Amino acid sequence: MRLTSFHVRAIAFLTLGAALAAAAAPRVHAQVPASTDVKVERIKPEREKYETVRFLKQNRDFVRRRFDLLREKPVGASGDAGSIDPRYLEYSKMLAAVLADRDSVTRAAEARDRLTLLASITELGQLETQLDQMDRLLAAQRGRLGVLQNDFTGRQQTALVVVASGWPAEATVDSITIALEDGSRTTVTLTDAQRASLRDGGVLQLFHGFVEPRQQAFELTLAGNRWAAPAPAWVTLDPARDRITFLKLDLSSVAQGGAADMSARTWIHDESLPPGDS
Amino acid sequence: MNRATHAARRGRGTLRLAAGIAASLVLLAAPLAAKDHAVFAARSGVELAREAAVAWAADAVLVYVENDEPVDGAGGAVRWGYLFHSPSLEKSRAYSVRDGRIVTAENLEMRFEAPALADGWIDSGAALAAVEKEAGKTLAKTPGVRLSTMLLMRGPFQDGDPDRTAWTLIYTVPEQPALFVLVDAVDGKVRRSWRG
Repeated sequence: MRLTSFHVRAIAFLTLGAALAAAAAPRVHAQVPASTDVKVERIKPEREKYETVRFLKQNRDFVRRRFDLLREKPVGASGDAGSIDPRYLEYSKMLAAVLADRDSVTRAAEARDRLTLLASITELGQLETQLDQMDRLLAAQRGRLGVLQNDFTGRQQTALVVVASGWPAEATVDSITIALEDGSRTTVTLTDAQRASLRDGGVLQLFHGFVEPRQQAFELTLAGNRWAAPAPAWVTLDPARDRITFLKLDLSSVAQGGAADMSARTWIHDESLPPGDS
Repeated sequence: MNRATHAARRGRGTLRLAAGIAASLVLLAAPLAAKDHAVFAARSGVELAREAAVAWAADAVLVYVENDEPVDGAGGAVRWGYLFHSPSLEKSRAYSVRDGRIVTAENLEMRFEAPALADGWIDSGAALAAVEKEAGKTLAKTPGVRLSTMLLMRGPFQDGDPDRTAWTLIYTVPEQPALFVLVDAVDGKVRRSWRG
């Protein structure tokens, strides 16, 4: 068989692909975020309190009286509808482009299927042209994904994800409650399937929501067969602004002490896409 | 190895020791320097506070700003307080910002259904500059006068046009009623002043 320039190019392409795949494999392991231990405390940690909006607090009655004097007055102006974000109008065009590109790929695939025997250099040239076309389509798709990524993942707000793993040998946990300093509480009652999953090494998501980007103590309470009156424990975190902070609770060490027996680790999620995907 | 080589090595060792001591001194001095907090104008802290507020309540709106530490001559302070109101929760929550961090967050223990501040309000420095321009000479003649509070809100102090967002600057004067100066936070004009 005679080696043409196409064959040389195809071999080089495959070699490059294999090299990239080999390079990408260890990178997955390298991107595992570094986590740090956090203290689970039996007593709520004390933090320095600073006085804020002092004038308002000292003059609350006066300010409230003044507000009471204000009355709503009807105005003549009409309420105009707000303009639609032009990005949302662009999305329909992008979707149409995606569908058109998909048709092109389908047509190319059908044509390729018909090529049962690459008998001549001309046909090889056609195949090369088709590969180039697919490269262009992939590049266009990558560009569209980049637009969507910038519009949505680029606006990450400060968030916290709390997960649990492990299962205590000396207790049965029925529910886990997480309370934020602003007073909101989330209680997760464990189902039999979730308990079995934790016993088998699974990880359970307990909370995923926006939190204030500041140092704060999260109150954790376990309810179960070992604690008549569950005692809370506290974990202090300083969620990074505009990032997702993870808190992983390990239940395997839980015994008589309840939530304070847990160990915990935290890390910041790296939401950026690996190079080449953006 | 000759004597000159030994001397050169001793010299390098002395240099390394000196560099190590210098580095240690820098590291020891760093915490002392950190005690000095940076002065900033009111607007600089609002986005951080707003992000915290929308995590607390998605419909939270900024209704009030006040200096939490003394204001300097340029309208800056090392700590500012931002109050947000959530109509859905019917609660208000305050955030105190210093050095780009929220150092205190607390719910206001009173009902305070204040209207949201207008967008585009002038910063504390501009409000203070407007008062200085209008009444600087008069203030300078008043013995012991001191700017104690700058607050930004909409409603209570604006008799004629309560819908306007306005800065109120409160000056304390020894043995006299405080002096209030109202600055329109949209056009930057001094609207009125009074004793109270």
